[in-house]
Amino acid sequence: MPASLLGPYTRTILVAAVLAATLAFALSGARVEVHTSLLPVFEWMETTWFGYIGKTWGAAFATVEAVHLLGLALLGGSVLVAEGRLLGVFLTDTDQGVITARCNRTFNIALATLVATGVFMACGVALKIYYLPVYWYKMLALGGGASFHYLVRQPLVERGPGEVNPWLLKLIAVASIMVWFTVAATGRWIGFSG
Amino acid sequence: MSEREQGEAREKSKLIDEQLAALIAGGSVAVFFIWYWSGQIQSVIELLRLAYG
Repeated sequence: MPASLLGPYTRTILVAAVLAATLAFALSGARVEVHTSLLPVFEWMETTWFGYIGKTWGAAFATVEAVHLLGLALLGGSVLVAEGRLLGVFLTDTDQGVITARCNRTFNIALATLVATGVFMACGVALKIYYLPVYWYKMLALGGGASFHYLVRQPLVERGPGEVNPWLLKLIAVASIMVWFTVAATGRWIGFSG
Repeated sequence: MSEREQGEAREKSKLIDEQLAALIAGGSVAVFFIWYWSGQIQSVIELLRLAYG
């Protein structure tokens, strides 16, 4: 959609539209229809190489899971340091721009690790996670968190000092911590389910 | 309006847009968390009351 059609507040309108669409999807029957239509995809995932390896070779699954957890730790660390700096809790003697840029690089590596290892693990237990509501909560939190990070948070924190309202930066930091802790918590919840 | 002033106005408008979007997204996350955890804590308190009086 051309940005000019939405006027000067394109990003704001898109964020509000995505939130409204998510809410409507969660409360409507479309959620059940989409869930049902995705079953063949999850059945297929179990028949892939990743699916067979994940199901039959416990050591490989455990090793990939360990890398997944390390990625989660790296992501959590980068989020805590970056947001702690925005909140004025950590590393206040270092320039915010330097911390933000370095943490973002670490965040990108961690997220790529999580997605790569997560796809492998999902193939090994595809039908189990398909029927777990918490898996879908995690995917929602992950999608929301990544969108929030790249489309909402990054453009603001990359701006120069004093340009952005400091209270807004603190709100972003708190929201970011909440979202990524939800991703981590729902991930562990999957581990404890079934 | 000169080209420089137009550029500055565009940049200012972009900043306002980015800040409004962040306010809506961040505010929604915070409100959802407060609502969710209030409900969770309330239900645990009720459960504890049922169990221990």
